[in-house]
Parts: sequence; C-alpha cells; structure tokens
Amino acid sequence: MTTATVRAALPAARQHRMSLWRLEWLRLTRTPRAIALAVLFAVIGLVEPVATRYASDLIGHLSHGARVSLPPPTPAQGINSYVTEITLIGLILVVALTAGALSFDTSHGLATFLRTKASSMWELVVPRVAVHAGAAAAAYVLGSLCAWYETRVLIGSVPAAAMLEGMLCGVAYFVLAVTLTALAASLVRSTIGTVAITLGILIALPIAGTFAVIASWLPSALVNAPVGLAGGTQRFSHYLPALAVSVAADALALAVAVRRLRAREI
Amino acid sequence: MAEPIVATRGLTRDYGGVGLFDVDLLVPLGCVYGLVGMNGAGKTTLLSLLSGLRRPDRGTISLNVARQQVAVCPDVADFDAWITAWEAVDLARSLVTPGVGADAVDAALAAAGLTDSAGRRVGGFSRGMTQRLGLACALVGDPALLILDEPTSALDPSGRADMLSVVAGMRGTRTVIFSSHILDDVQRIADQVGILREGRLLYQGGTQDLIDQYLTPSWLVRIAGDPGPVTQAAGAEPWAVRVEMAGADTIRIDATSIEAGERGIPAVVAACSARQISCEPAAADLESAFLALTAASPQGVR
Repeated sequence: MTTATVRAALPAARQHRMSLWRLEWLRLTRTPRAIALAVLFAVIGLVEPVATRYASDLIGHLSHGARVSLPPPTPAQGINSYVTEITLIGLILVVALTAGALSFDTSHGLATFLRTKASSMWELVVPRVAVHAGAAAAAYVLGSLCAWYETRVLIGSVPAAAMLEGMLCGVAYFVLAVTLTALAASLVRSTIGTVAITLGILIALPIAGTFAVIASWLPSALVNAPVGLAGGTQRFSHYLPALAVSVAADALALAVAVRRLRAREI
Repeated sequence: MAEPIVATRGLTRDYGGVGLFDVDLLVPLGCVYGLVGMNGAGKTTLLSLLSGLRRPDRGTISLNVARQQVAVCPDVADFDAWITAWEAVDLARSLVTPGVGADAVDAALAAAGLTDSAGRRVGGFSRGMTQRLGLACALVGDPALLILDEPTSALDPSGRADMLSVVAGMRGTRTVIFSSHILDDVQRIADQVGILREGRLLYQGGTQDLIDQYLTPSWLVRIAGDPGPVTQAAGAEPWAVRVEMAGADTIRIDATSIEAGERGIPAVVAACSARQISCEPAAADLESAFLALTAASPQGVR
C-alpha cells in the first residue's frame, strides 16, 4: 500500500487533524466515558424525584404492606434527592474518569511520548482538565434539567432563576472536583491513588465546614446550593464567597499540579 | 572526530550506589551510536538524562541541536488504545512540527512499515507494531537527533531486520543513539559504540576499532583435501600466534595482527598449492570484544 492509498483510506482522519484537545474529545466519545456520564446523571435526575414523590408507597411496599404516612414532598426535596445522589455517585464517576486521563505517568511509554513532544506541561494538562470539567458540567446540567422536569411534573414547580443559580453552584463544585483530581494526579502516579486522594479532600471539606466561621466560604457549601435556592431558604448572594473560593482553588490546584508534574521524573 | 551533537561531562545520577557516574559521552554528528551494557549498566538512565526525562545530580549535557529536534522512542512504546496509528502519528506531528502537512504522517508510517495499519486502532497492535508506531511518531518531526531505547527488543526477526535497516539508513542524515543488549545488532549498524558497566563508560569510539583492539585476529580456513601441509606451514610463520585444527577440513589461525593475517594466510595457502574453499574471520565480533573488555578492564573511560 502506498502513501497515496493511505490518503484515500483515511479521509475522515485527515479531515480532523489531531491535537491534545481532540485527543480528549476522542477519549470521551470513543470510550464509554461520555455515555456513562450522560446516562448516570440523567437517570438519577429522572428517578430521584419519582422516589421522593412516592416515598410513602415505596417504604410501605418494602415494609410488607405496613401503612406509612409521610408529609407531601416539597419541590426542594425533589431537587435535594437528586443533589444527594449525584454528589455521591456522580462525583465518584467524574473523579475516576478524570483521574484516568490525568494519570498518564503510570505508563512509561505514554509518559515518554507525551512529555518529550509537548512544549510545556500546561499544554498537556489544560486540555485534559478543561474537557473533563466541561463534560462533568454538561452531565450535571443534564441531570439537573431532568430532575427539574420530574419535580415539576410530580411534586411542584421550582423557579427557573433559582434552578439556574443552583446549577451554576453545582457546576462550580464539579469543576473543583476535576481540578482537585489534577492536583492529586501530581501527588501520586496511580489512578486509584489519585481517586482516593481527591475523594479524601472532597470529604474533608464538609468536615471543615462544621466550623461555622468558615462554612460559607468552603466550596462544599455549593453542594446543597440548589436545594437552598429551590426552597427559597437562601439567596444566591449567600453562595458567592464559596463560589469565589472555588474559582480561586481551581486556579491554585491547576498551577500546583502543573508545577509538580513538570518537576516529576519518569 | 566530527563535531559532537551530544557531549556530556561528568554526568552523574546516583540511585544509592547504582545509576550513572562521571560519564563523558561524545556523540559525533550524523553517526549511529550504539550504547551497550548488561542489564542495570545504566543505559536507560543515560538515555533518560539525554531526553530530559530525568535530571542529573552532577555534570552537564550539551546538545548542539534544539530540544524540539530531539525525538525519543522508549523501549516499550504506549499509546491510548482507542486512537488509530494515523492519529497517533498526527498527534506527534501536531506537537512537534504543527506546520507540516499530513503527507509527513503518511511518510513516517511508511518508513516504519505501518502503512497497511494506518487506520487501525492501536489497542489491537502487537508489541512489535506498537514499537514501530513509536518510531513513526519519532520520525514525523524529522528529528536531527533520534534516541532509541532497545528498539529491536520486541520485534520478530523480520521486524528486527527492517528496524535495523531503517536506523542504518539514517546515518549521515540524522544522528541516532540507541541502546541494545543485542550486540550483533549494534555491530551491524553502529559506527560508534559506547560500553557501559555499572554506570561507568568503559569505552567509546569506533565499533570496528573496538573489535580490532580487543581481539586476537583469528581466521577459519577451509581447505579442500589434506589441510596438513597448510597447518604446518602456517605454524612456522612468525606472525602466526596459534594454528590448530577446528574441524576435518578447517584450520583456525590466530595472527599477531589483522594485517599480518590478511597478508600471510593467502601466501601460505598459495605456497602449499592448496585449494582454499573459504577463509573467514573467526569470532571477530562485538560480543567477544564486549566480554573481553567488561571482564578485564578497570573502570573508567578509555
């Protein structure tokens, strides 16, 4: 086969020239990553408000016919059920997928390929973080829209402004999870170690939030923002300090990650 | 020696008694430089230091070429399994020489013998194909200096021959530094050789110079008919160190020098009116030189 034959056989590949950004897009679309994110977030968004609406019936059924009477759920509880599940299962999935992309030093061959060709560590890290942050944000918004729709149909409406503000806070928290994963990947080489460290930090944040003086400044305050905003118990301005800290932490985590990865030897 | 493209001075990386110590490497521009040594001799450490993947504890590295013109192939190349070979090489192109066109990708794949597999995903590649893909990714940037760590270690005999042919063909157009523990490969394609033992450079210089320097010149001469007269005549020559039968019709003759043997043996055969079937150098290979050098030499560069 000549090079001309190759040219004819690879029209699609030749139309889309490769770059580190396209590599990350292909990582999402050619592996089950994108589908897994979309399906998980959408299913939780659709199922959780249903579970909240029919909680009495479900508990009664599981209790072998016993009558269980619960007060009618509020729209904020419908959103809360989604937030509770997604910040557990969804967060683990996002961290695991991001860790897989950022742990390129686990393979000596891959690390050599990337590190000897990229002109800077920023060039390697930024596309991986940005694409995974974007995917996590898109999945979170998709799940939130599903939860919003189901809550409105089954329980009651949530104001659009509150919902959008809540989504912004949730997205900021998931983006922070991605940048913290980058930081963790610069501390250890293994994917499992990266996931463990990231989840450890994310678990430590709400524990630190038990100190009232810093609670509203911690990014973990963003987790329940959709609930507080949907229920009208908090205003968006209440979450601005946590949002600001979260954005600053993103930048810091990314800078430290790049610095440490640049210094690492393979 | 031609102008060096790579020169190190006192290069040291100490991993607690093992590693690399006081290496003064000189790699001439345009040569194929073979780096040989036993496992743990420091070959990969030296190549990693030259590649910038590790940093020395002491010493300096002078590269007379821009870092972007240095390409590196690890001993076990690895790529994301879900990209195609063409995409892997195109990714390398986009990082190293974003200005060149797609034809450079095709040419690199062709040079590595992967044209037929250009559209296949890397996950289905054998280790040998992955190693050749690593070479294609290195070649796409048209590097001035190519660093190859054990380039033939995963290849079958045919692939190994192809790889050696590709590397040998680069002589004069780009500089190649490659490590190998297959001394026959080094002897076939390297014009310069460096021998490492326990992190120290025992020898560097011309491959043939090393062979000539460390070996007693020896030939195997096959004679049609009775080899006795030739054996006796050769044994009486002052340049013959040792003459003995190495088979029913084969005589092994050790000489004081290559020149003495090359001149003397044909003269002896002719003087005896013997019919010579063949005359070939015996054991004149890099492996014997390597073993002689590493077994006997005190540490330090020669």
